[in-house]
Amino acid sequence: MHSWGRVAPVTTQVDTPAWADRIHPAPGPVLAYGLGRSYGDSCLLGEGRMIETRFLDRILDFDPASGLLRAEAGISLDAILRFCVPRGWFLPTTPGTRQVTLGGAIANDVHGKNHHRAGCFGNHTPRFELLRSDGSRQVVGEGDPRHAATIGGLGLTGIITWAELQLVPIRSAMLDVELVRFRGLDEFLELSRDSEEFWEHTVAWIDCAASGRDLGRGIFIRGNWSAHGELAPHKPPGASVPVDFPDFALNRFTIGAFNTLYYRRFFGRTNSLQQHYAPFFHPLDSIQGWSRIYGKRGFYQYQVVTPAEAGAEPMREMLRLISESGQGSFLAVLKTFGDKPSPGMLSFPSPGITLALDFANQGNATLALFDRLDEAARAGDARFYPAKDSRMSRADFERSYPRLDEFRSHVDPGMTSDFWKRMNR
Amino acid sequence: MSDPTPYRAAVFGATSAIATETLRALVAERPAELLLVGRNPERLETLAADLRARGAECEVHATDLLNPDAPWASILSGGDWDLFLIAHGSLPDQQATLDDPHATGREIDVNLISPVRIAATCARILEKQQRGTLAVFGSVAGDRGRQSNYLYGATKAALETFLAGLRHRFAEHPEVKITLLKPGLTDTPMTADIEKGPLFSPASKVGADAWSAVRKGKSTAYLPGWWRYVMFVIRHLPDFVLHKTKL
Repeated sequence: MHSWGRVAPVTTQVDTPAWADRIHPAPGPVLAYGLGRSYGDSCLLGEGRMIETRFLDRILDFDPASGLLRAEAGISLDAILRFCVPRGWFLPTTPGTRQVTLGGAIANDVHGKNHHRAGCFGNHTPRFELLRSDGSRQVVGEGDPRHAATIGGLGLTGIITWAELQLVPIRSAMLDVELVRFRGLDEFLELSRDSEEFWEHTVAWIDCAASGRDLGRGIFIRGNWSAHGELAPHKPPGASVPVDFPDFALNRFTIGAFNTLYYRRFFGRTNSLQQHYAPFFHPLDSIQGWSRIYGKRGFYQYQVVTPAEAGAEPMREMLRLISESGQGSFLAVLKTFGDKPSPGMLSFPSPGITLALDFANQGNATLALFDRLDEAARAGDARFYPAKDSRMSRADFERSYPRLDEFRSHVDPGMTSDFWKRMNR
Repeated sequence: MSDPTPYRAAVFGATSAIATETLRALVAERPAELLLVGRNPERLETLAADLRARGAECEVHATDLLNPDAPWASILSGGDWDLFLIAHGSLPDQQATLDDPHATGREIDVNLISPVRIAATCARILEKQQRGTLAVFGSVAGDRGRQSNYLYGATKAALETFLAGLRHRFAEHPEVKITLLKPGLTDTPMTADIEKGPLFSPASKVGADAWSAVRKGKSTAYLPGWWRYVMFVIRHLPDFVLHKTKL
């Protein structure tokens, strides 16, 4: 089994229950495994039993008047969208891929381009059931500390068997999108501020190969649901990446060229278009197995959030370090988080700016860059993200999550993960 | 949702992953009234909830399909059926099964005797109705005996011959269709222990193709369709070549 980063696969015992009555949470240690889109080791358990949930994918109840959906936790966001879009409903918020399970979206309290309006995924899951390793089943709802511990709880508080999700109404599957080119981080912050009131979805792509006076240039992307267009769900993926790319395929020249072309992809400063939700929210889902372009050695994700008070300075320093190292990535994403709190004790988003990047695994050079980035992040009082991590230190984890001690009391003694073991060593 | 008359289907072994996906494809396309037959009442209810949320009307009937005296036949009487779908099957470890004569018999029961018994009953109803479809899941494993799964393959080959005979019997009734559905390697809980390669298809794809074959009234459908060519090659390999492979 491996996670999406493919850096450190594990060989372990795997259960694949097809029905809820076949989930056996004991003997431990166990860890629920959805679709394996966490990048690091938070979804893996090398010594123990992993319970693959993807066949537990049934819708248990749907109220077409209120949009409240109840489903088994192994259902993917992809399957939920194919169900709800033709009926005029959409996910309350969606991460950059549809290929995650409902349970996984809760356990990592995922966020999306509408964080400044909607908060996190866990803001929209009023109730769910936990199966604990002692065999007990507990339905927990908003206000219950076990609910708060499980949101962002990395699967450590019990196995989520089913969950309720409050969908939001849409009139069309299309979005009205505007792309605005910006020349630096200050312009990015200004665009973010100006867009928050009238744009539901905002994000920015950043050219992390640019340096000097181009440092921090990128394209701001903002969108609102269209009033016109069909309620057509997305199509199944077409192309796939069938093999691991050779290691030389990605280097500073191919990455630099890609980034420059991407930055120059339209004339003028802004560009307006109507776009289906699939390319807008999930651009990489149309290519199955895209992480294989990073080759056999896999890749790392790096994501932090720096507090709003710190302004653009910590991000500027981090971008400078990345451009200096020449190890840029295609997918550098910048977004401002709003101040709507998630119930989750270990929820990642907090008011401020978040930067997410992927880096091919180039061994020590990559790890050395991360050490420098960590230092800059710490100086900026940044928070690190377990779902994307393979290497954060225990101290950084503890500093990132002030409610960690409160969380610990809700951890199921029969559940753990390679990440959790690493954080408690 | 162009056709307002609900499509009426009775499904045996409804809780199998491929049957579930076939039904999801059906109910995504048109209004349906489904009778879900299987062994485990809670699982049938869970499946019914899923299909109801998708717009179908569902009834469930829990019974032992291996028992010829169980009263499942009586629940079919009186209805006008568009489709009978037979989907139960099992794929256990072959050597362990062959080492135990009782287990060997049980496998043949699940994969052949029970489906044949049900198909015979459904055929009587179709004859009376003079219309409707009987669709049964076979497998590409039935196309040639291979060391890796010849017990399973033999039951599916026998089922194929049985259905070919039924199709002959109904040759003069163009409104009665006998459809053999032959999935290739499919990513389901049944194949969880087999290492996944590029030949595996998602159950959702296989189910959607199964429904499309049923709707078009096909005689035999490989699922997905490209398995027809793969199996053409495998059927025509000379023994001395096949015997060198691990297939």
